Amino acid sequence: MNDISYIGEHLWVGQVGHFSIILGFVAALLSGYAYFVSTKNREHDIIADSWRKIGRYSFMVHGVLVITLIGVLFYAMYNHYYEYSYVYAHVSEDLPLKYILSAFWEGQEGSFLLWMFWHIVLAFFVVKTSGKFEAPVMFTFAIAQAIILSMILGVHIPWGDDALRIGSNPTTLLRQMNDAPVFANADYLSLIKGRGLNPLLQNYWMTIHPPLLFLGFASTIVPFAYAFAGLWLNDHKEWLKQSLHWSLFSAGALGVGILLGSLWAYVALSFGGYWAWDPVENSSLVPWIIMVAGLHVHIVSINSGYSRRSVYFMYLMSFVMVLYSTYMTRSGVLGDTSAHAFTEMGLERQLIFLFSFFGIIGLSLLLYRYKEIKNPEKEEELASRDFWMFMGSLILLFSAVLITMSTSLPVFNKIMAYFNPAYEGRVIQDPVEHFNKYQLWIAVFISLLSGIAMFLRFGARNWEMQRKKLYRRIPIYIGMSALITMGTSLLIEYYAWQYWVLGFATIFAMVSNLDYIIDKFRTKFKMSWAALAHFGFAMMVLGTITSGLNQKHISTNPFVFREIFSENDVKRYVQLIKGQPLFSQGYLITYVSDTLEDRERHYKINFQKLNDSMEVVESFDLYPNSMYENDFSKVAAFNPDTKHYFGKDIFTCVVSLPPTLMSMEEARKVEDSIKYVSHRLMLNDTLHIDGLVIQVDTISFNPSNVDYKNHEHDAGVEVVLSIHDTMSDKDYTLYPAIGLEDALMYNYPEAIVEAGVRIKLGAKMLDKYFTPDEEMAFQDFTIKNGESFSFNGYQFHLDGFNRNPQHSNYDAEAGDLALGALLSISNGTVEESAEPIYVIRDKQPMSVKSYSPKTGLHIRFSNIDPEKEVFTFKVAMDDRNDKAVELDIARDIPRTDYLILQATIFPAINLFWVGTCLMLFALLLAAWNRYAKSRK
Amino acid sequence: MSRSLIISFILIIAGIAVFISASKDVSTYANFKQAAQGGKVKIVGQLAKDMPMVYDPQNTPNEFEFFLNDDEGVVKKVILHQPKPQDFEMSEQIVVTGELKDDVFNATEILMKCPSKYKNEEIEVKGDVSSL
Repeated sequence: MNDISYIGEHLWVGQVGHFSIILGFVAALLSGYAYFVSTKNREHDIIADSWRKIGRYSFMVHGVLVITLIGVLFYAMYNHYYEYSYVYAHVSEDLPLKYILSAFWEGQEGSFLLWMFWHIVLAFFVVKTSGKFEAPVMFTFAIAQAIILSMILGVHIPWGDDALRIGSNPTTLLRQMNDAPVFANADYLSLIKGRGLNPLLQNYWMTIHPPLLFLGFASTIVPFAYAFAGLWLNDHKEWLKQSLHWSLFSAGALGVGILLGSLWAYVALSFGGYWAWDPVENSSLVPWIIMVAGLHVHIVSINSGYSRRSVYFMYLMSFVMVLYSTYMTRSGVLGDTSAHAFTEMGLERQLIFLFSFFGIIGLSLLLYRYKEIKNPEKEEELASRDFWMFMGSLILLFSAVLITMSTSLPVFNKIMAYFNPAYEGRVIQDPVEHFNKYQLWIAVFISLLSGIAMFLRFGARNWEMQRKKLYRRIPIYIGMSALITMGTSLLIEYYAWQYWVLGFATIFAMVSNLDYIIDKFRTKFKMSWAALAHFGFAMMVLGTITSGLNQKHISTNPFVFREIFSENDVKRYVQLIKGQPLFSQGYLITYVSDTLEDRERHYKINFQKLNDSMEVVESFDLYPNSMYENDFSKVAAFNPDTKHYFGKDIFTCVVSLPPTLMSMEEARKVEDSIKYVSHRLMLNDTLHIDGLVIQVDTISFNPSNVDYKNHEHDAGVEVVLSIHDTMSDKDYTLYPAIGLEDALMYNYPEAIVEAGVRIKLGAKMLDKYFTPDEEMAFQDFTIKNGESFSFNGYQFHLDGFNRNPQHSNYDAEAGDLALGALLSISNGTVEESAEPIYVIRDKQPMSVKSYSPKTGLHIRFSNIDPEKEVFTFKVAMDDRNDKAVELDIARDIPRTDYLILQATIFPAINLFWVGTCLMLFALLLAAWNRYAKSRK
Repeated sequence: MSRSLIISFILIIAGIAVFISASKDVSTYANFKQAAQGGKVKIVGQLAKDMPMVYDPQNTPNEFEFFLNDDEGVVKKVILHQPKPQDFEMSEQIVVTGELKDDVFNATEILMKCPSKYKNEEIEVKGDVSSL
């Protein structure tokens, strides 16, 4: 099959891609080797310098090649080169251009490239600023780049019976990956279409969240590389001074990445929350926690020389945990325990190698140097800031260990199953409860520590003075916090004593840190970033109590049988029928209307807040939407809409729709199953069925049916029906219509959903437009140009002729002699024009009828007498009022005018967002200050 | 004895304590036989495709009934107290969390494993597009 020469392929993309990958991999290895030699020879300036240059230039070549690869792959995606499997798998014709970036990093290969891209950007700054640490730090960079690049190497090495596959090349051709019959066709490209981006990911969050998260992931390599360099050079002081801003930046960037993820989940996805302790979320949180722990001990080590070993351990582990999380989310090991891991790529062994390589090398080196990393002789003072910061870091590490252990349960299961195939995998029964239970205490300890430790000094300097200050202030903080906690309990339910403790601890931390900020405001504002970060942290945790613990479902249905399910869970969903308000939890909720825009259908939901005397206090609309699959075959996703207040959010999301609206297939099935019964009625007749009285009011040839207006038809007829429902004593008017476009018939049924009835016009109604000529009485009129005649009250005037007549029923042929007669028609109220055509083809006369659906006039141009200059017209008219109305009526049709809604109040959720933002802002601000300081 | 040693000791004890108490949160997937002993469990199984599925959103939007075939081949009725999940029929494997009561499994949570559309190996060919 390789003999086929395929049409339209752009093979250069694959060639450039392949070349870049291979050469980029080699360049990274060379760079690593050069930097290694340079570090080894650091005592000999000239040798070290020249090797360092080689390392630097090789890394530059590597960087250029990786960016080239990104460029060509992006180019191929932008131009829909479906011959490439990665392009085929991630873009499609109907994917809007703005989502090409999202499609780029939707797949594993693209996100590895994104990761490497950030490493290259960071390396640029590291080379510029690291001075004598360049060689050992960049050695780690280069090796990491080589190993990550190997994930997309796409090399197959014969290994026993199997080929050992190293990486998956994103510029592999689709026909090399698949063996489908379509490739037998040389022009297969004209036959295939891309699979496109998962509709769930088609929003701007997918454009911003991954790059920022990967910047965070990538940035953890810098502290790792510095720590590694420190161990290697056996210099445990210098790098600590030089690199604190990198750790602060890393904690800030990774924090922003995680925050955006949880904002995405909350704002745009139907998760109904911002954190779910999902394994994917956890595995990005753990490196962040360790990084934060690391930067605390880092600060201690700079200020008093303690905790250096811990700094090494934390920074090594933070990066290793990023790699471990890569393994967790990309190898498929999470299986059914996570809602959103990557699609598998079959690189499990390579991913295990990735984290074990750095883990083992890093930790062995730490062990090897352990004794040489000296701490000050004397132990830390109990009353020193150093000691308590170290304690805080330990607690954070403890938290990270707990989360990792629980999240790694699937890995544990896999290992056990490897040794004992009969082993049954374990799962956590209720992950959210499990994590909350333990992490709550971590948050309590951290809050309390961060509230007190700020008032201690490094090395317990000035302890006597500090003690007085502390003993005076702490009781005040405790008293104030206790009061505030009691106060908040009027607004927040604390439910259990543990939450009381947590609430108190966070408020305590907020009070004391705020006081610290105010205290330092005038003198050293720049130094109070730590207090600001702690304040933000405490506020964030308090926000989880208010919005998580206290969330209320407005959509709780009061009519569920609570006796069965009282202990299990609250009913979160409620059914809303269009136009029928529902009262729940102080709100009157109405589903008003829905509109379709592109592939999204927006539902207008009106909320009216009522006070005790049932008066409307406030009214607002929310527009949650549903999103169709790219081909409209079914609903792919629901997106929420949220009303934001200062003190709370009202979150709504459609969770389900009537089956017929959920999928086309279902709609077709239901439509096929509906039984219509035909009824023949005369104008003004009434029909009685099942309590309905149906009367035919008028027949109109200008349909007013809402849907009808969307189409320009050749002709249409509509019947106006008055219907009285004797059961509910309600009156309705329906406008079923039927339209004709060329030979296609369009039916516009109408329904009364409350009564479960649907009515459409019978196909026989269309006979009105197809009345055969022989059934009609044509009258002849012979006139001259410019003269008139009258018929059935209509005046016909011959205005002139058209020598090139056009008509949908007339296809001009060479040799035709055709003449269109221009007639204006009027009966005083209706003004119309008609152009019947007289044709002589092959010496045979024929005429093309002009028909006016409005008036029902059939006009033929039947003869021309050239001698007398007279023209003959045949005119007839439909006998419209005489015809009966054909109604097809179906009963018991399923309703389609409702939706299932979730509406939840998140009280004081802004505490969470604002707190998180403050904390991250403080981290980034500190990173900047530290960087500025290190430059001086 | 140095302070850091005491601290590490405390942390290790705390770790062990957490580990022991957390082991209660963890268990294997159960089957209907084990669920009959009461308590909240996770059951893994397949949708019994020959049995009816009932979802009547007009009257009970929060209830979806189906039959689940557990690992041992026992089939029981499950009432999921949620709207019917999307692509439910396509699921290869279902994990439900809940309790067995009067021979009916009342589930509050569901996780499905579906053959992802974005994973399939077939090459889609133009022309099979259906539109509204």
